[in-house]
Amino acid sequence: MQQRRTIDQIHTNRVLLNGQLDTPKWWAPTVITLGIIVAIGFFMIGIMVNKGLGVTGLSRPVYWGLFITTFVFWVGISHAGIMISAILRLSQAEWRRPVTRAAELLTVFSLLTALMFPLMHAGRPWRIIYYILPYDFARGIMPNVRSPLIWDPVAISTYLTGSTLFLYIALLPDLGNLRDRTTGWQNALYTILSLGWRGNPRQWKLQTVGGILLSALMLPIFVSVHSIVSWDFAVTPAVEGWHSTIFAPYFVIGAVHSGVSAVVTMMALMRWLWKWEDFIRPEHFDALARLLIVVATGWLAFTFLELIFAVYGLDAPELALRELQIFQWPWNILFITFVITGYIIPVGMWLQKSVRNNIALMFWSSLFVNIGMWLERFLIIVPGLARRTPFVYTWESYRPSGLEWFILFWSLAWVTFLMLLFSRFFPLVPLFEQKESETFSDSIKIGRVKVPAIVREAD
Amino acid sequence: MASEAIHSGAQTDAHSGTHEEAHHELPARVEPDVITSELVASTDSNSTGVRNWMWILGIVTLVGIGVGFAKLLIEWGDQSEWGYTAAMVAFLFSVFGGAPLVAIAPTLAKANWVRPVARFAALCSLASIVCTIWMIPLILNLPMLVVDGARRRSIWFEGPDVSPHMWALVSMITLITAALGLIYAYALPDFAAMRDHSTGWKQRFGSWMARGWIGTTIQWRTLRLRIGMMGTLYFFTFVFVHFIISTDFAMSLVPGWRDAIFPMYHAISSIQAGLAVTVLGLWAARRYMGMDKYLHLDQFWSIGRLMFAFTLLWGYFFISAFIVYWYGRSGSDKMWIDYLILGPYFWVFILGVLFIWFTPWWWLIWNRVRRSYNGTAIGAGLILFGVFLDRVRLYVAAWAVPEDRIHERFLTEYPSAVFPDVMDLFIMVGALAGCVFVVLAATRVLPILSIWDVQQFNLLYRPVNYMKTKVSLIGKPD
Repeated sequence: MQQRRTIDQIHTNRVLLNGQLDTPKWWAPTVITLGIIVAIGFFMIGIMVNKGLGVTGLSRPVYWGLFITTFVFWVGISHAGIMISAILRLSQAEWRRPVTRAAELLTVFSLLTALMFPLMHAGRPWRIIYYILPYDFARGIMPNVRSPLIWDPVAISTYLTGSTLFLYIALLPDLGNLRDRTTGWQNALYTILSLGWRGNPRQWKLQTVGGILLSALMLPIFVSVHSIVSWDFAVTPAVEGWHSTIFAPYFVIGAVHSGVSAVVTMMALMRWLWKWEDFIRPEHFDALARLLIVVATGWLAFTFLELIFAVYGLDAPELALRELQIFQWPWNILFITFVITGYIIPVGMWLQKSVRNNIALMFWSSLFVNIGMWLERFLIIVPGLARRTPFVYTWESYRPSGLEWFILFWSLAWVTFLMLLFSRFFPLVPLFEQKESETFSDSIKIGRVKVPAIVREAD
Repeated sequence: MASEAIHSGAQTDAHSGTHEEAHHELPARVEPDVITSELVASTDSNSTGVRNWMWILGIVTLVGIGVGFAKLLIEWGDQSEWGYTAAMVAFLFSVFGGAPLVAIAPTLAKANWVRPVARFAALCSLASIVCTIWMIPLILNLPMLVVDGARRRSIWFEGPDVSPHMWALVSMITLITAALGLIYAYALPDFAAMRDHSTGWKQRFGSWMARGWIGTTIQWRTLRLRIGMMGTLYFFTFVFVHFIISTDFAMSLVPGWRDAIFPMYHAISSIQAGLAVTVLGLWAARRYMGMDKYLHLDQFWSIGRLMFAFTLLWGYFFISAFIVYWYGRSGSDKMWIDYLILGPYFWVFILGVLFIWFTPWWWLIWNRVRRSYNGTAIGAGLILFGVFLDRVRLYVAAWAVPEDRIHERFLTEYPSAVFPDVMDLFIMVGALAGCVFVVLAATRVLPILSIWDVQQFNLLYRPVNYMKTKVSLIGKPD
């Protein structure tokens, strides 16, 4: 709160709408470059669909590899939005305000991206319909509704719908603002999208109540999505390392760790690219870093429990898997990298106040987290399948092909591309939240000292 | 912001007015001198009610300890006879050990509402002393790591034979030390107030404990740092103790029970119970100790929300384990369901779920309930009963497994239900009375509400008029 400054509403409008009313020079070349990468990525996916999954490194017994890892990774990133927007809104954390829109957006785009990976992984994407919809009543061939593989698309599409609605409701006041400042086709677009927003008390009340209700409704979905993803693995006793009761909360807390770190990465980029120093301030990074220390330490505790109870039973196959996962080449290098980048480096850095207030260091530390978290998913999924077991007669180790790596890179470019495209038409920092924060800020005098204060609903 | 401070005289009495008015009451502003003198005076044990209660609780505690000693002599070595004692210790540790987290977490998050609550929540941790005393017979009856020449499953893979016994004691003593450190860190300014506003031994004691506290800027800064450090230490020790108790005193006694989420489940339900006991304590302080001036709806409302959140979290943690066992269908998976859910304690399980989760969920979901003193207290009572049943189900079942079957891959024949005998009842009531006695005795030394926290709450809280409504202005100093 010490760094907050009074910003008048005209300045807020001018600076936060600069992406829509006055496109920055770097925007077009960046979007074109990303667009080319995205197009090449789609071409590669086309090749894979045409040639089949043989172009990937997948082979017996490793059927789930880089695509499923990346699917879990993006579902994890999608937890940023609800964590920041819903949980922090319900807990009335003031510092969330400039971050909410970007976090919600990240949720929507990362979910869209996550959904594409099981489609690619299916090899023949159109056949995925057999998993979801009944297709042969006569022979009684139905999707197995008791399988988490069916719950997955249901949960993710519900989460996507809810998140989109959440994002849209929060956008309404800003759309009204843009409508009043644009002409021509843009004005027509914003007029339609703003749904007649005039900012009267009734509309504000509905918008606020809608936001709170959606926050509360989205929370169970938020928890269920990654829990269901974890159950894709945990309900399978046949694969060592997967059948653990801790997987659901372990995946959820890991997702929050990963998602909130991604928000930090994005905030740093937004501050640099759009020069929003007045709005995205070191205090916001400081608050997020404090939150991340707690989340990361909780996540580490879950990691510890997962490992200790894996070996607790002293079952030979489980011990063999852990031996492979932690001590054998090349998994040992991946494991060490995962622990160092997922926890030791970032949390070690965040414990220093000077780092928490340094945007560049926060940016790099948040990138480290997501490298570590991607590796964590890879280490959960692949070694369990790759370990040679007694009844596997055809056996090969898994090495992702160049095409798989490119598609992983493509997914990063794709999400960035969508974000930049969005930023051309809609503000990335919610104007009304910023103004509300100004209104709700005050100070009280205690003796000779003026203490920053915030307005809260009375008892 | 255009706001206007409301004159304190315009406020309504907490007990008067309709329900709707009560929801909009604003905390009464009490003069700082009055706060100090009233809260210091509240530690005097002149009240006959408190004195009588302390006598009754003390006697019941001693009777419980006596019966426990007799039981130790009579039923030494019969593990199944100690299930209810184990359940009660786990329950009491869960309840009173979890309470300080109600103070720690919101304090670290700089929430203002928690200030009047922090002292009582921290004092609850003293009950760990009683839990440690009652843990001694359990430690004496806990099987060694090597049974019949073979090492049993435990988290102490290569550790010495007495690792579970030793670490249980060490961790509990560490927790007590952390609790005392936390209470002392919180209480330093109050000891100074005791020094300046009381007479006799209390003045001498306050003077000695205050260590020259005069409230300089550096002293305040150090105080905040100390609270943060002791709070963090308490939290980590708390999680570690739950890890030890849940695995060594429950899970490892049942062959085939391998549940990675169980320590966290144990800790989560402990925080839920800690919130509940804090609500009940505050409710009693308002009703019987005249603290209604200092404890407002804000505190009950905030804890009510947390209780609701942790109630849902209990459901989530339970289902996370259950679904994995349900789908797994391996021998040990089925054992977990058949013995701990559907087996001899099925009705305890059903009642436990009703009280720990289902009823509080549908009770606390209503804002109207959470914004009332009695509503949150009823919710708290339900939760405490539910947690008690949950611990009975888990610990009595675990201690009922005969030691000669500890090496089985998983249980195939389930021991029948164990019911408490008269000695168990005496022990359970005695242990509970001991915990309440310790907390009540502590309030005879330190005020049940922290004086400086209440002062700061009042300083940083301003009711103001905003447009047509009334809002609170809350100071957020760094």
